[in-house]
Amino acid sequence: MAFLLVSIDEDDKRLQRYLNEMKFPFPVARVKAETAEQVMGFDNIPATFYVDRGDIVRYYVNGSEPHGDSPTRVSWFVDQLKGPAGARR
Amino acid sequence: MQTVIGWRGAIAAGAVLLATGAVVAQSTAREQLARGQALWDQRLSKSAIAALEAATRDKSTAAEANEALGRLYTFKGWQQDNVMPGWHDEPAYRVKAIAALKASIAADPNRASAQEALRIAEGFAAADKVDPAPPRPEIRALDAKLQSLAADGPVAAILAAVDARAKAQADPAPYFAGAQILIDRGEYDRAIAMAAHGVPVSDHFIDENLPAYQMSGKSQGSYNRGRSQAADLTGWALFMKKDYAAAAEKLDEAERLTQGQDFANQFHLGELARARNDAALARAHYVNALSLSGGPAPLRQRATQALKAVQPGSTGVFETWMEGELSRRREERQAAALKSLVDRPLPKLALTTVDGRPYDTSGLRGKVLLLNFFASW
Repeated sequence: MAFLLVSIDEDDKRLQRYLNEMKFPFPVARVKAETAEQVMGFDNIPATFYVDRGDIVRYYVNGSEPHGDSPTRVSWFVDQLKGPAGARR
Repeated sequence: MQTVIGWRGAIAAGAVLLATGAVVAQSTAREQLARGQALWDQRLSKSAIAALEAATRDKSTAAEANEALGRLYTFKGWQQDNVMPGWHDEPAYRVKAIAALKASIAADPNRASAQEALRIAEGFAAADKVDPAPPRPEIRALDAKLQSLAADGPVAAILAAVDARAKAQADPAPYFAGAQILIDRGEYDRAIAMAAHGVPVSDHFIDENLPAYQMSGKSQGSYNRGRSQAADLTGWALFMKKDYAAAAEKLDEAERLTQGQDFANQFHLGELARARNDAALARAHYVNALSLSGGPAPLRQRATQALKAVQPGSTGVFETWMEGELSRRREERQAAALKSLVDRPLPKLALTTVDGRPYDTSGLRGKVLLLNFFASW
């Protein structure tokens, strides 16, 4: 199981300040917002993609989830992909 | 002789024409400068930039126009985060801000205000953190004036206060606030007209500031918010007029635009269904409303009471039932928000590390991956 956070921030100092504050326990990469929007096809953030072992996107959630029970939901998606349904095809 | 006179005359006429041309150009540049400044006061960025850029091309207004542009760019680059809902800083304007302010000083080395503006912009460039611009006192005063008239101000004064606020800053907020006040005052037709006026104003304001929203989903959300606010206010005014068929049309339009996720709209739809004796539909809308966050506490209380009125049972039974319904509704909404892209291969994306070096993704191959795109704003 791997986690990758990708920032679309343009402002270096602001991103660094945010990372210092949030102390994410996962690797963080960067990409230009415009590129991400075009290549990944999302138009709002946060955008979360759940990818199986065969590099196939299985679930995609776009925009914030103001009413969601996020930890439970994330665990559910991950469990689906870690089980037989998420095996390399 | 006649030729000489003609020749001299031509020179004289040419000189007059040239002088007139210069005066006309200066006058046009001065007009563009004034127009650009007025547009920027209203926060209509795109048109303000175009007018000010035109004014920079004339020597007589270059210093003033470049300073105004530099100040505008400084705001866009460092200070506009959440100044209006959905706005974020546009760092690409930072270099432009400093260049415009330097151009202003080059055009007029004694221009103290431009020197001060450049010092501020350079200070921002060197700072670790720049706070967003504070709310403008003149706009706050005009908003406060409108609200002070809400309870018992004359209707003509309310309309004048909306007009004054709309002239000072071109966002749609005064139209929607004014429409709500007019509904509360029983002025339903005026409220409907005012809400309708807010729609093109909202669209225009977003068009003028489009890059500030950073992503198309965010700007689209703002367009929808303006249109849904107008539709909901209109629907609610029509409901108060007991024109239930027309009210349903507008409230349904607002529901489509907000994807059923606006507390006030769901409450209004509940009230409409109850007035039409459709208890099941009223229950569904009240449950929807209460399962959402937002809405002032008294209105949430009203929604709870209204739900109780259409759901028979003792207090204890009702509370247990309501908790179950709210939780079920939240789960349904989560499921509906999910977009499944089964079978789509993960596209190739060139990532960098935080400090700009190529990011090696080879370690991710063959693993279940949670890929989250985010921004600090």
